[in-house]
Parts: sequence; C-alpha cells; structure tokens
Amino acid sequence: MVYAYYPGCSLKGSAKKLDVGIRKVFGVLGMHLEEIPDWNCCGAVEYGDASEIRSMSRKNLFKALKVSTRIIAPCPLCSKNLKESDGSGEFSILHPLDVLSLDFLMSIPAKKDLKGYVITPYYGCLLLRPKETAIKDKEIMEKVILSFGGQVAGEEIKDKCCGGNKFFVDKEIVYKLSKIVLKKSSPFIVVFCPLCHMVLKTFSEGQKVLYFTDLILYILGEKKEL
Amino acid sequence: MQMIDTEKVFEYSGYKKEDFSVCLGCKICASVCTLNDIGENVNPQEILISIFLGKVLNTHPLVRLCTSCYRCTDSCPWSIRIPEVIRALKEISQKEESFGKAFRSSIKIFGRIYEPYVILKLSSVLLRKGYIKFFPKWIEYFSLHLPHFVRRD
Repeated sequence: MVYAYYPGCSLKGSAKKLDVGIRKVFGVLGMHLEEIPDWNCCGAVEYGDASEIRSMSRKNLFKALKVSTRIIAPCPLCSKNLKESDGSGEFSILHPLDVLSLDFLMSIPAKKDLKGYVITPYYGCLLLRPKETAIKDKEIMEKVILSFGGQVAGEEIKDKCCGGNKFFVDKEIVYKLSKIVLKKSSPFIVVFCPLCHMVLKTFSEGQKVLYFTDLILYILGEKKEL
Repeated sequence: MQMIDTEKVFEYSGYKKEDFSVCLGCKICASVCTLNDIGENVNPQEILISIFLGKVLNTHPLVRLCTSCYRCTDSCPWSIRIPEVIRALKEISQKEESFGKAFRSSIKIFGRIYEPYVILKLSSVLLRKGYIKFFPKWIEYFSLHLPHFVRRD
C-alpha cells in the first residue's frame, strides 16, 4: 500500500533519526512511503490565526493528492494540524501508531524480545489531546512493550507536558517540567515527538531517550541494541 | 499596558462571545494546567472571562508561557480550546518571542523551518541565555543539509 508521507520540518533536521526510523520500519513491513512533493511547514503552534494555520496545512493536503489521500505524519504536531485542516474528511491522516496496530505488530516475525527491559512510553501532549485529533489506541505502546516481554513503568506521566515548545522562551520552566517526567520514568523512555526527545535528552542524567521506531526496529532485529 | 481588541480574538480563534458565556467558572482548567504543576499559579479561566467582558490585557503570564498541552481543553466541560485563544491573544498583542520571530522568518524565506537558519537567527539568545552548555548533548541534532525552497503560489 502506498502512503503519502509528510515528514515535517524537524524530521529533515534535528529529528532525522525519526525520519530514518519511520522509513525503515515501513519498508521492512512492506508499506511504501512516498514523500509529498514540495510540502510546506504546517505552522506548528506559532500562529494565532486559526484559519491561517488551516490554510497552510490545506496546501499540503492538496499537494498530497498527487500521491495518495492516505497521509502518514509522524510528528504529533504536524499530524494534528493536518487532521484539523481536512474539514470534509476526504483524507485519512494517520500517525504511524494508527497504522502499526498491535495485531499487525504481533503478526510480524520478531527477532528479539524486550525481556528484562523496563520501559516508559512517554506520549506527551498532542498524540492524546485534543480528543478529535488523538490517536485511536491510547495504550498501544504499553501493549507492544508488554506483548514482547518488557515491563512498563511511569504510566502516570505518560501524558504530562515537557514544555518543549517553550524551550527557547524559558528554559527554567522546561527544566522543571522535564524533571517531573524524568523522575517517574524508567531508564528507557520511548518518545514520539522531536521536541520531547530534545528536552528529555537535554535534561536526562543517564536515562536513555528513544524514538518508538528504535524500539520497533530493535524487535525486528534491525537495530543491535536499545 | 495595552488593551486587546477582543473582536479580533474571536476572529482569530474561531470562537464567538457566547462560546465563553457557557464557562461555568469551575476552574478545572487551572487545576490541570501544566504550569501549575511547577507552581506558576496561573488561572486560564481569567482569560476567558476577561475576553467575555471585553477588557483583556496582554500581560497575563499565560500569553508568554502556555505550552499548548491541551490539558485544559481535555478537562473543560465545554472542551474550550484555551491554548488557541491564548495564541490568538499573543498574535494580536504582538508578543512574539525571538524564537517565534526566527520561526516565522524561516517560513517566509524557505516555506519551511530550516533549522540552521533558525539557530543562526537565535544565536545571540543561545549565547546570552546559557543554552551553549547543552550543545554537547545536541550534537546528534545538528546536521548539515541544504534548504529546500517551497514553490510560491
């Protein structure tokens, strides 16, 4: 199946690792991603005029038409903005977690399990809120970790905010918020958002911050260690 | 202090005045607000009520610090999207921070966020405000890639 792929700005730079991971996971699982030609920024949360934000994302939907109406957007913020710009419901805008269901992941030939690993899935804000644009299964990562023999810890902070988008406005606040998350997390933290990755990694003292794609690639045997 | 044109807040956020009249004042938004986890003592409900009364001021701390986590929206009995109301306020009062300015400037030039350009624009902030000490941990985030220029309509 061919999907139109919207990487978004971060995945071209600081979150290159997530981009590479997504392409690899989808490739191994036999799903084809084709990047939307000449896509533009979704506007993130930097614009106050809601109609301006929607029109930025609508341009991307229009550009995606050349590829597919099924769009994969790994960045939680991009995927929210794209979903909200699709007023008529003509497109199906998906976060990778909406495609990689538990049944699907359980059906693939796993080369490694997660026995002995205690992992904290840290969803952050925009995959779970607002409800209109949230992912379908809000416990998917816990289920994946448990199904492959790992243990889950720190569920109480899974939807806390790391303050990421204020990192360059007030780093003290972001430090305090990320410490709340890090304190309750296990040595392995699985994240989904480029900003969560950056903030938690900056303030982590020895805890490992991974993208969810790293975890899946490890299970698939494409990555040597977590 | 600058008074904000509340009509514009409605226009930008897509809300109408009556949408805020249903606010029960339950302040659940304040009880779940991320910033109150770290003792910032903010009350998002103040913003809604003051816009409803037509006399909002742009000095509310949330205008600068709201993280757009949507916990307030998730708990609100009316699912009011307070972060989007705050973003409208911020835009109208032109309270843009250096980061926001660099971000918009990149979109103007490239049509995307080209991170090397944003870092360059922010370099004095990064130097002055003590971000340099994070650079060793940020090495994996830096990559040399050429910008893409999005075609103009």
